[in-house]
Amino acid sequence: MEETRALFWNLDSPAVTTFYLIGFAAMGASVWGIVCAIRKYLRGQPASGASIGWAGIGRMVADVLTHRTLRRRDPYAGLSHAAIFFGFGVLFLGTAVITLEYDILEPLFGITYWKGTFFKFFGLTLDLAGLAVLVGLLLMMWRRGARVPEKLDYRRDYAGEVEARPAARCWKREDWIFLVALFVIIFTGFVQEGLRHAMERPAWGAWEPIGCFFGMLFSSLGEGALHAARAANWWVHGFAALGFIVALPWCKAKHILAALGSLAARDPLALRRLPKPLAGAAAGVGTVADFSWKDLLDFDACAKCGRCHEACPARAAGYPLSPRDFILDLRLHNNAAKGRELPGTNLIGDIIDPETLWSCRTCGACLEICPVGVEHPVKIVKMRRQLVESDRLDPLLRVMLNTIGASGNSFSEPGRKRAAWVKELEFIIKDIRKESADFLWFVGDQAAFDPRNQAVSRIVARIFRAAKVDFGLLYEGEKTAGNDVRRIGEEGLFESLVEYNLEQMANAKAFQRIVTTDPHSFNTLHNEYPDFGETAPVIHYTELLCDLLERGALKVKKLLNLTVTLHDPCHLGRLNKRYDAPRRVLEWIGCRLVEMPRNRDNSFCCGAGGGRIWIPDKPGTKKPSELRIREAVTLGRIDVFVTCCPKDLTMFEDARKTAGLENDFVVEDIAELVAKAIELDAITLHDLPALTEKLTTAIAGRVAATVASQLGTQLGEMLDKALAGGIPPAATVAAITPPVDAPTPVTTTVPTPPASALSWRANPVTPANLPTYEIPAKNGVRILALIKQIGKLGDDFSFTDDHRGIPEEYFEYLLNEWDDTALEQALQTIEALDGGEVVVVTVGPESADSTLRKALAKGAHRGVRVWDDHLADADPIVIARILAGIALREKPDLIFTGAQSGDQANAATGTALASLLNLPRASMVVETQWDGSAVIQVTRELEGGLQHQVEIDTPAVISMQTGGNVPRYATMRMIKLAKDKPIASVNAAGEADSHRAAAVNRIFAPQATRATMLEGSADEIAAKVIAIIREKTGTSKGETA
Amino acid sequence: MSGILIVAEHTRGVLADSSADLIGAALAIKEKLGGPLRVLVAGDMPRFFAGALNRPGVDEILLAETGSANFDAAASEAATMAAAARCEPALILVGHSASGVSFAAALAVRLGSGFAADVFGLDVTGTGLRATRSGYANKVNVELDFPGKSVVVLTIRGSTFKAPDGRGEAVVTTLPLALYGIAGRYRHLGFTEAPSSDIDIGKAEFILAIGRGIQDEKNVPRFTALAEKLGATLGCSRPVADSGWLPKPHQVGLTGKVAGNCKLYLALGISGAVQHQHGMKHVETIIAVNTDANAPIYNIATSGCVLDVFDFAAALERAAG
Repeated sequence: MEETRALFWNLDSPAVTTFYLIGFAAMGASVWGIVCAIRKYLRGQPASGASIGWAGIGRMVADVLTHRTLRRRDPYAGLSHAAIFFGFGVLFLGTAVITLEYDILEPLFGITYWKGTFFKFFGLTLDLAGLAVLVGLLLMMWRRGARVPEKLDYRRDYAGEVEARPAARCWKREDWIFLVALFVIIFTGFVQEGLRHAMERPAWGAWEPIGCFFGMLFSSLGEGALHAARAANWWVHGFAALGFIVALPWCKAKHILAALGSLAARDPLALRRLPKPLAGAAAGVGTVADFSWKDLLDFDACAKCGRCHEACPARAAGYPLSPRDFILDLRLHNNAAKGRELPGTNLIGDIIDPETLWSCRTCGACLEICPVGVEHPVKIVKMRRQLVESDRLDPLLRVMLNTIGASGNSFSEPGRKRAAWVKELEFIIKDIRKESADFLWFVGDQAAFDPRNQAVSRIVARIFRAAKVDFGLLYEGEKTAGNDVRRIGEEGLFESLVEYNLEQMANAKAFQRIVTTDPHSFNTLHNEYPDFGETAPVIHYTELLCDLLERGALKVKKLLNLTVTLHDPCHLGRLNKRYDAPRRVLEWIGCRLVEMPRNRDNSFCCGAGGGRIWIPDKPGTKKPSELRIREAVTLGRIDVFVTCCPKDLTMFEDARKTAGLENDFVVEDIAELVAKAIELDAITLHDLPALTEKLTTAIAGRVAATVASQLGTQLGEMLDKALAGGIPPAATVAAITPPVDAPTPVTTTVPTPPASALSWRANPVTPANLPTYEIPAKNGVRILALIKQIGKLGDDFSFTDDHRGIPEEYFEYLLNEWDDTALEQALQTIEALDGGEVVVVTVGPESADSTLRKALAKGAHRGVRVWDDHLADADPIVIARILAGIALREKPDLIFTGAQSGDQANAATGTALASLLNLPRASMVVETQWDGSAVIQVTRELEGGLQHQVEIDTPAVISMQTGGNVPRYATMRMIKLAKDKPIASVNAAGEADSHRAAAVNRIFAPQATRATMLEGSADEIAAKVIAIIREKTGTSKGETA
Repeated sequence: MSGILIVAEHTRGVLADSSADLIGAALAIKEKLGGPLRVLVAGDMPRFFAGALNRPGVDEILLAETGSANFDAAASEAATMAAAARCEPALILVGHSASGVSFAAALAVRLGSGFAADVFGLDVTGTGLRATRSGYANKVNVELDFPGKSVVVLTIRGSTFKAPDGRGEAVVTTLPLALYGIAGRYRHLGFTEAPSSDIDIGKAEFILAIGRGIQDEKNVPRFTALAEKLGATLGCSRPVADSGWLPKPHQVGLTGKVAGNCKLYLALGISGAVQHQHGMKHVETIIAVNTDANAPIYNIATSGCVLDVFDFAAALERAAG
């Protein structure tokens, strides 16, 4: 007898038919499930960057065949999965081979091959495959049951969960059912084989070794029992296998199919290059319907392996984010929503807590390690876009976005100060806007403004110079590149920053490449800017340093002989795969590199990415940077913790201090080490002339100042003497220009009170008569919101030559905080009335239009800007006259304005305006209630926090105190959308220079009586403060403290 | 005519401290400016305040019966205008307070006078009256002249000038008023006390105050604990109270409480806006901790350090054991 076996042993034809029917039904159910899933994915939005092409499929096949994504960082799971996957794959192919013969080739062509030698090898292969699956499953069960890695626990202790939630308990059951079900399928298969062997005892039995083994186990059974068991087990095995086919598009099994799709459609640039929002679509993701099809596919692809959960720095630091749980929650929701908006459920809020979204550092650790190509952080950013759009922002983040929008940097510094760090250099760096160079050095915020990093920037500049690198800067023409702004979700602001920087680069003189010290800027310039316009190739400074050392342009004079560890910046290493340059540099300069356990693609984020550097850490959380520093401590003796990212330097310097590890090692930028190795300290003769010139200028300045102030004092004394002696000094005084810092000599006697020289008369101020402009007919109530763009003075400034002003360059212009409150109150009032318009009015030059645009973006209906150059230093009475001129044209029902301005703080404009218009007014208002009728109830805040409730007639002028409301944030997208709202420009010529209430005699820096500064470390200062406390409060209290 | 007219202020039957401050300010230049010093007080029973306002140097007290016990911006404006018309002063002084700012600028409009607000320095020079105020968040001082103005209206920063104690020899005069038909008079509805609390900034001897520098509401408990540990009362600046991070009674400053009995003030992450200084600059020992070395708080503090408030707090927690 030739080696083969009966396929449907002991089944009569109706039973076979029944089985076929059940089989087809099962397959039908499976196909139906798959179709449902595909239809669900197709409801998703188009996915930019993700598509299923041959390259993607090729990569997916390679991923699957090599199991490379599954073996990473968990070889045990990788091996077990490989055993199950490949074993099952072979079994599947085996079944297909049998089906091919039994159902197609034999009935149609009479061809059979499942016999003889083929049958024997077939049997052996399938037996071994089945064994592999069983072993794999047992390993997996052992892992889940006995080893229990933390990443497989669904209890969210990072979010303070004490007991696992019901869904988590379901997932746990599902995991076990999946393993057990697979085990049952294979095991009953072997049982079936064993029963056959026990009954038939074939001569070739050894070719099916496992079946043979099972057969021996059953050999003691009687013929009847064997027969019955074989018949029954056949159905058990058959139903188990068909059940699996039905389950394939559902529950955990669906990852088998979905993961193939998510791997094939994986965006190679995911997170490195975030998707542009789709034209006309909602801003960001507010419901699952806003997700792309790839996102929806990702939810189903997740196999809950927990690798992302383990890698996430937010989770490790105690923040309420686990990328795994984020995806699982979305999956659970989408199981119900099926790619459509689910009424009555808010995706953000009910399903995903905003706090979870803000916890992300966009470091890409989850995305990197995910074995099935799920792109978690991209989804987080898409949802953040919705949070930004709907103004659900951390207050500090709102301030930060406003700051970046106004000044182009995150340090709240005037843009002019961006290049302040170059002042201490002994040479001049080229201005790329005026001179061409090989390299444009894009410095980035942290390296340009943070004092510690400024020092590094200067070292980098000196190294470049020493290596004769031809480089230039954009100077104040640079704005923050916007990498983190985009990752916060403020896409509009990001786009405007990109447009600005691209324009600056386009208008600059020629350069070949961009070099940047900041990996965040590197990432966006390299990956994202090309989506918006042409950019030069970008390299990181470590790459340039490496090149300079290798070319011999930098010569190492002293090998440092230090033991160091290196932190790979997320945006340089993991996201852009640049791991080698810094390591090669360290080798060149003679550093022994000891790698931290988590390095290269598994580098652990410092916690600053994704805008988190601007959001304060929650109490009760650990700092990711501190966790990382402690990881370095486990290495034993190291001298330097090396960084090559300005944010890293800041974060790790801080962490080293707060962790109390100041004596263990130092944190230094790689450039600082290079500088030591090439002995940069020695100033080259080449630099001397420029340095001498700088020094002489500085000394000359100081000498001049000292001489001037002494001269001033002496002249003052002479003047006093002269006055005492009765000699008229006027001629002498007039001839002397008052020195810069010396007080103007004060005349001590006044012969006649000058005021009485004027005859007393009231000369009422009247509203300005302004030209007409287009005002639409009133439709409902009209509220004027008066806003002012104020000048925020930086720390360094000087006065104009006449000492009556401060040059414009020292200011940064912002919307007055009180006026922002007034605008918000106006908008809320209109919204509550459900109709009418808010007209924003400002007195300011054309540059104030940006502030008006912002107000229009927030919801104001139109803007009016009045200006004449004479208004530049106008006092509140003059401004009120102008505003009154507008009010007379607009005839509003209510006027809101800020109680004071943040720059001049007169608290006068609103009151003066009301008087000019003969209107009732209330100032220092924190609450208003108005139904559009002839009276308004307001609450004023008085000294001591006492609240005063009054009622006044409308129209009225209401001056708002801060704190009454929280002004909304206008995204750049909203600002762009508001660009069609009209702004009327009114010329105040002829009305701008009369009725001045005061004239500036001089502006000067106040004489500071500075505090005695306590010196020393934080602990030393604290000890001194405790001593003061004890002294002042009496020892007894101090001791109880 | 010449002289100075002061507008006194009172809330709920209590004369504001600022009224005495105004007398102090006026006396600083009374001689240089020449002319009498008059104090105007308006209300339903202004005579009630005449005694307290009768300080040395005051020449006349004008009583304006407005028929309203509570502040009414329109009535105050009308009464002051009437007094000005009668006395023709060279200078009118109003407190830079919630009430004062509600009508001072209106006087300037109706008189076409010189005007400056929140003035803390006064002088008379060869060119006339000169006022000093600050600008750009206290970073600069500005001297203002009022050329061609026969009368100047100024609002005066609180707690800057001191009035002499003792009794003066002022004449008390009732000012005839016609208040009918004034637009927009306040219809007084009531007062609400600042929410009460178990803390009393006014009585505390040792205050640990926190400002914007603490960055987040979530960081408040840490400082509450620190204050408790040190035996200090927890105070805060306006932004902290505005954001609702701490209840209003903790707020030190113009719209908060004045630290009247405080001997030691530890200011953490407070830059020192004028409004805040109003409530604490008189304290004998002020220790300031801030990251901005140029913060105005260092100009009034006795000692300070430039340090991250969280690092400082951590060190203080350790030091306090």
